[in-house]
Amino acid sequence: MTSRHLFLPTLGVAVSVWFAAASPTLAQQVTLPLPRLLTVMPMGAQAGGSVEVTITGENLEDVTSLQFSSPQITARPVTGADGTPVPNKFLVSVAPGTPAGVHDARVLSRLGISSVRAFAVSNLKEITRTAANNTVESAMALELNSICNASMTRRAVDHYAFQAKQGQPIVVDCAAAGIDSRLTPVVVIADAQGRDLLVNRTGGRLNFTPPADGRYLIKLNDLTFQGGERYFYRLALQTTSGQAPLPRQPETQTVSAMSWPPAGLTATPANREAEPNNRAPEAQKVSLPCDIGGSFYPAADVDTYEFAAKKGETWWVEVASERLGRDTDPFVLVQQVKQADGKETLTDVAELYDIPSPMKLSSNGYAYDGPPYNAGSPDVNGKFEVKEDGIYRLQLRDLFGGTRSDPDNEYRLLVRKAAPDFSLAAWGVHMTLRNGDRAALSKPMALRAGESRVFEVVTQRRDGFDGAIELAMEGLPTGVTATGLKIGAGKSYGHLILTAASDAAAGISLASITGKAVINGQETLRPCRMATMKWPVKDAKGEIPAPRLMADVPVSVSNSEPAPLTIEPADSKVVEATVGTTVTIPLKITWRNEFTGTSLKLKAYGDGFAGVKEIDIPMKAETTTLTLDLAALKLPVGEHALALYGTAVSKYRYNPAAVPLAEAEQKKAELLAQAAAEEAKKIAATDAAAAKAAAAKAQQAGALMAEATKRMKTVSTTAEPRDTVDIVVSSPIRLSVKPAPVASAATTSSKP
Amino acid sequence: MGRLGYIATALFCFTLSAPGAETTEAPQKNPPLNFVNDIEPILTKAGCNSGGCHAKAGTGQRGFRLSLLGFEPQEDYEYIVKEGKGRRVFPAAPEQSLLVLKAANIVPHGGGKKLDPASHEYATLVRWIREGMAYGRPEDAKLANITVEPSVLSMKAKTTQQLKVTARFTDGSTRDVTSLSLYEANDKSMAETTEEGLVTTQDIPGNVAVMVRYAGQVSVFSVTIPLGAPVEVLPPAKNFVDEHVFANLKRIGIPPSPVADDATFLRRVSLDIAGRLPTLEEVQAFQTSQASDKRDQAIEALLSSPDYADYFANKWTALLKNKRDDAADITANFAFHAWMRDSLLANRPYDDIVRQILAATGTIVSNPPVAWYKRVKEPHLQQEDVAQLFLGVRMQCAQCHHHPFERWSQQDYYSLSAFFSQVGRKPTAIAGEDLIFHKRGTAQLENKKTRTPVKPAALGGPILEIAPDDDPRLQLADWMGAKDNPFFATALVNRYWKHFFKRGLIEPEDDIRDSNPATNPALLSDLAKHFVESGFDLKEVVRVITRSQTYQLSAMPNDHNAVDRQNFSHFYPKRMQAEVLLDAINQVTGAQSDFADLPPGTRAISLPDNSYNRASPFLKVFGRPEGASVCECERVQSSSLAQSLHLMNAADVKAKLAVSNGRADRLSKAEKSVPDRIRELYQAALSREPTAEEIRLSETHLLKPRLDAQDKPLPAAQALRQGYEDLIWALVNTKEFLYNH
Repeated sequence: MTSRHLFLPTLGVAVSVWFAAASPTLAQQVTLPLPRLLTVMPMGAQAGGSVEVTITGENLEDVTSLQFSSPQITARPVTGADGTPVPNKFLVSVAPGTPAGVHDARVLSRLGISSVRAFAVSNLKEITRTAANNTVESAMALELNSICNASMTRRAVDHYAFQAKQGQPIVVDCAAAGIDSRLTPVVVIADAQGRDLLVNRTGGRLNFTPPADGRYLIKLNDLTFQGGERYFYRLALQTTSGQAPLPRQPETQTVSAMSWPPAGLTATPANREAEPNNRAPEAQKVSLPCDIGGSFYPAADVDTYEFAAKKGETWWVEVASERLGRDTDPFVLVQQVKQADGKETLTDVAELYDIPSPMKLSSNGYAYDGPPYNAGSPDVNGKFEVKEDGIYRLQLRDLFGGTRSDPDNEYRLLVRKAAPDFSLAAWGVHMTLRNGDRAALSKPMALRAGESRVFEVVTQRRDGFDGAIELAMEGLPTGVTATGLKIGAGKSYGHLILTAASDAAAGISLASITGKAVINGQETLRPCRMATMKWPVKDAKGEIPAPRLMADVPVSVSNSEPAPLTIEPADSKVVEATVGTTVTIPLKITWRNEFTGTSLKLKAYGDGFAGVKEIDIPMKAETTTLTLDLAALKLPVGEHALALYGTAVSKYRYNPAAVPLAEAEQKKAELLAQAAAEEAKKIAATDAAAAKAAAAKAQQAGALMAEATKRMKTVSTTAEPRDTVDIVVSSPIRLSVKPAPVASAATTSSKP
Repeated sequence: MGRLGYIATALFCFTLSAPGAETTEAPQKNPPLNFVNDIEPILTKAGCNSGGCHAKAGTGQRGFRLSLLGFEPQEDYEYIVKEGKGRRVFPAAPEQSLLVLKAANIVPHGGGKKLDPASHEYATLVRWIREGMAYGRPEDAKLANITVEPSVLSMKAKTTQQLKVTARFTDGSTRDVTSLSLYEANDKSMAETTEEGLVTTQDIPGNVAVMVRYAGQVSVFSVTIPLGAPVEVLPPAKNFVDEHVFANLKRIGIPPSPVADDATFLRRVSLDIAGRLPTLEEVQAFQTSQASDKRDQAIEALLSSPDYADYFANKWTALLKNKRDDAADITANFAFHAWMRDSLLANRPYDDIVRQILAATGTIVSNPPVAWYKRVKEPHLQQEDVAQLFLGVRMQCAQCHHHPFERWSQQDYYSLSAFFSQVGRKPTAIAGEDLIFHKRGTAQLENKKTRTPVKPAALGGPILEIAPDDDPRLQLADWMGAKDNPFFATALVNRYWKHFFKRGLIEPEDDIRDSNPATNPALLSDLAKHFVESGFDLKEVVRVITRSQTYQLSAMPNDHNAVDRQNFSHFYPKRMQAEVLLDAINQVTGAQSDFADLPPGTRAISLPDNSYNRASPFLKVFGRPEGASVCECERVQSSSLAQSLHLMNAADVKAKLAVSNGRADRLSKAEKSVPDRIRELYQAALSREPTAEEIRLSETHLLKPRLDAQDKPLPAAQALRQGYEDLIWALVNTKEFLYNH
């Protein structure tokens, strides 16, 4: 069945109403194809070990290397008997002593560096499931203290069997969402007959003490019995002393963690909470500033801290718990305590709730109207002001904790004098399309030659820091430049434009993004984390986008196909202008694909350029001008940068270069098959024994030919021109605004 | 309102022709009539202020509005005396007042004739208007309570008893209000009542209660109707359940049936605890076991099996409205169902299960009980569901008016709702799904009637002062789980009793009130006590019930007890529930069902929500509920022609009979004697050995030559297979199969 999609870009291009063709293969594509690594199986290895992995992904051709965010993990292609690399297979080696953790894997392909996929390193023996294990009878044996890598079978339950001793505590932990999987695991411990004994469905671990020596089963399924290669998991079975809880399997970080920890924070808190401290009389006495570690445990736990404060003081309160990966919603209440006639009265001073998202989030209903990345958090970061000397109490509770009793729900509470600072995170800008487009896609920094790509950079400001933040990027491949459009004073986000020269050669490098600001007279430099989508979500109504932070910032440029369109200033020099004047900037446009519509409508990114009127570039025009009324924009003296952006639909052909190659391969396979068939015929007449072998060879050649034909057809189909909507961005335009010459003003005024 | 409406209304309202109320024993002689004490009861008795007449919600009838059952006399007074510029009353010529002209149908009245002009009530109304329509003075005596005489009585079948109802006022005076009171039996097949308070017993033995209402007060006349048969042999009591049941049987004179045989017991208890037939192996093992406590062992095995958790999760999730309205609900519904099932598997104490639901916070996937707040969104609905489901109290009426049969006022309604007033919601990435948290602030809700804020109070409890930081729902959960809570444990044990015995000790099982007493109050009380003392152990409730001899009595009545419907003198057979029946047919035929998004072979009792009813005509026709209500009555347990036809002819049932490698297929090829194969079939379907006659009949049928559609003889193997299919078809269509007995 095909569906009719109606896309209406709200930005830029004058593509009015556009109907998708009836065939799904010809439906409008959102965003030019980008390389995405989707699965790595197995998705982890033991430190000091090596493992052969198979990868899958989308828009991946000519994969030359598998790379990792940790230098301790390396990979080389698996080669066949003839010495040529086996497609999509790599041998991954993990250096001895590599600490347990989760790292980013990515591949380098025709279109450049792919999106990332988690790869875990453990200190346990690792195995990979090889055969179906969906019944009690076919349960796969699992040794104690080992990890099995597998993917879930749809509408089925995976079974594992282990031998255990009576009284020996066992922990079963299934990593899924934390390693980018789409699986919501249900883990059951059952007896040897498969009868359930213990169940966990909320992602937690199962602690199990066998009632008797014997064989037990672990049954594993997805909450709604989904499955397939994207529903992978790492099932860890461990023995424990039962004394201290075992650490969870390592997990990737949510985007909210971009604002944690504050710079310079010690790894462990200075103090621990001391229960009982739920009620006022038991309040734990502390002095400010403080740094306390605690947990929301047991259910409905309240942690109360009491301290003295002086009139005029302002204290900043920060709580991290959700940002530590816990499913909590911390809430802080500060009250002043007064004693009169032996009676205590409490006056509310501050209620501190969530850390808001720096950008309006997508409401995710009708269409995207904001990014699908949330750099806010249910954690707390706020302040209270002390109006009079006295005793104060701070209550900390988990708004999700009324009935939940999990000692793992830890928090860290900081109360400090203002320490202004900021944190940064960036992600590829998503299109705001109306009428049903809810694609949420990972956008690796894989640039096509001639392409400019825009990234949103958001900041979480700490303790009242309000100044401008200059954005910069270093370590780029040759031919790639980055321009940070600064985050203005008081603003919560800015943009970063990456531009690949039209003549750039293919290249890759590890880059870093930083923000620079002046805080209390000191220049402060902070790193910026990149965020990505775990999965390319085509329709966020049916599937909830799952973003996370990346470990580092790989950037690539490729030249296998150029960008469909390049918009750049005709002169790459900084444009000089006098404050309050009007400046005209010539632009050069290079059209490489056919575009839909009559003109391209562009607006401006850049601090101070929100007021730039939309410009209209007729289709196929090779030059145009941008006129800036600096007076109207109230652009002050100084250095500025802007970029033009819009949305455009072009006819895009995916990897057309592969078509002649595939055709040649097919031709070759056909000839080989023909030859083999003839050979077999010839031999059949002379030698009955050899005939059998020749016939088999001919059959094999026939199969290879069929495969080559199929591949050729696929390659040809995907290379058909397809309407593709994407964001177009110009390369940045730098503007230096100079003060008005004083003398000339005098001259003007002196005229009669 | 159309013509039919008036006819219906007229059925609710009745003409008064009873003799007048007797003279009052008030110290004052002929004091002026008082609206509250003298007039309102007349209107109530005449049905003027019934829900179908002038107390119809919102509008009243034809512009004339009264409060329901006169619970708001102040308002009624305004409506009668002042509204419409006083056109309803005419003190100068009281008989010409619209109020009496309409009531006596002198001026055409949609509700017909409600008052006879010759009646005392008519005269009282006229006198009140003539006197100037006094509302009454603040110092006037108020109604304190009513008493009914006799209040407890043993009455033989088909006998009558006139009741006398006395109203007692705050000044100590009393008044006979028999004629102005309303009477209603809680089981009309056991006792009938007249307008005048004459009770006639029918011929069903047991306990029945007649509720007596007057001016907002309720009293109860409890009747025991003995059968009077000799009770000479009683099985030895195994626990307090038996002691109470047998004591009642002795008192009433109903001899119980003997204890059922092993095969019947195993089938019954497997169906009731695990929602499935016993397996062939279980049947055979139980038969051969010589253990003296083998029945207790079977109960323990069933209770510790995941089937118990599956079966009771199926019951609870429907009541907790785990309903699929949108395809995206699947995650929430699967999570909630699974959570319930896991809680039962782990035997999480019942008070904790309820606490987890009531005070749920967070997101559904991380804390599945939150799903309940996705289904039930408003504080009032939350309160109503909680009251009915967990307390057995129906509060719905009290939203708009004082509960007619209960002590619950609107204030009680809003104060119970107020526990849910601080439920905070935040949107999540999933459309239509909020995350739930406790919103700091003073818990209170506005009483829609008085327009004043009401703070939380548990039923019958004081107003609670809850700190803004404390989640009031936790306090509600504390109150529910308190040892002395009068509703919580009672409601649960009554609900579970009904699960096993087809009939609650109180009926309906979720309508527990003073005016609807249990048929065996001591038993209900001890069951509740036992449940509380066990730490709200649900399995213990099941254990204590199923271990009792009462539960294990035969379903076959003896010479006397066939008439018994509420004293548990024999087991009352129940039709298998839709899911259980489907699973049972699969079990007997060797087929399996295939449900969307679940592993093939998933049993119908394990289905997480109602969405499967759409794809399964079988489940629908046998009454699987849609999860729309907290009432167990949503599950249709009655029989219908459609059900019979479905079992006999439906394609899905036929396909199961003929499934490849199914039981018919296997038995037709089995290497054992034909009688042994017939034995297997009977054991699988009916959990018992066939009789010699059944074997003979079956064998004859199996060996019969068969023809195909073209009337050609079928090959022997195919004919034999068809014979087994016929036999299974015949067995699953028997009442013995369809019923748990």
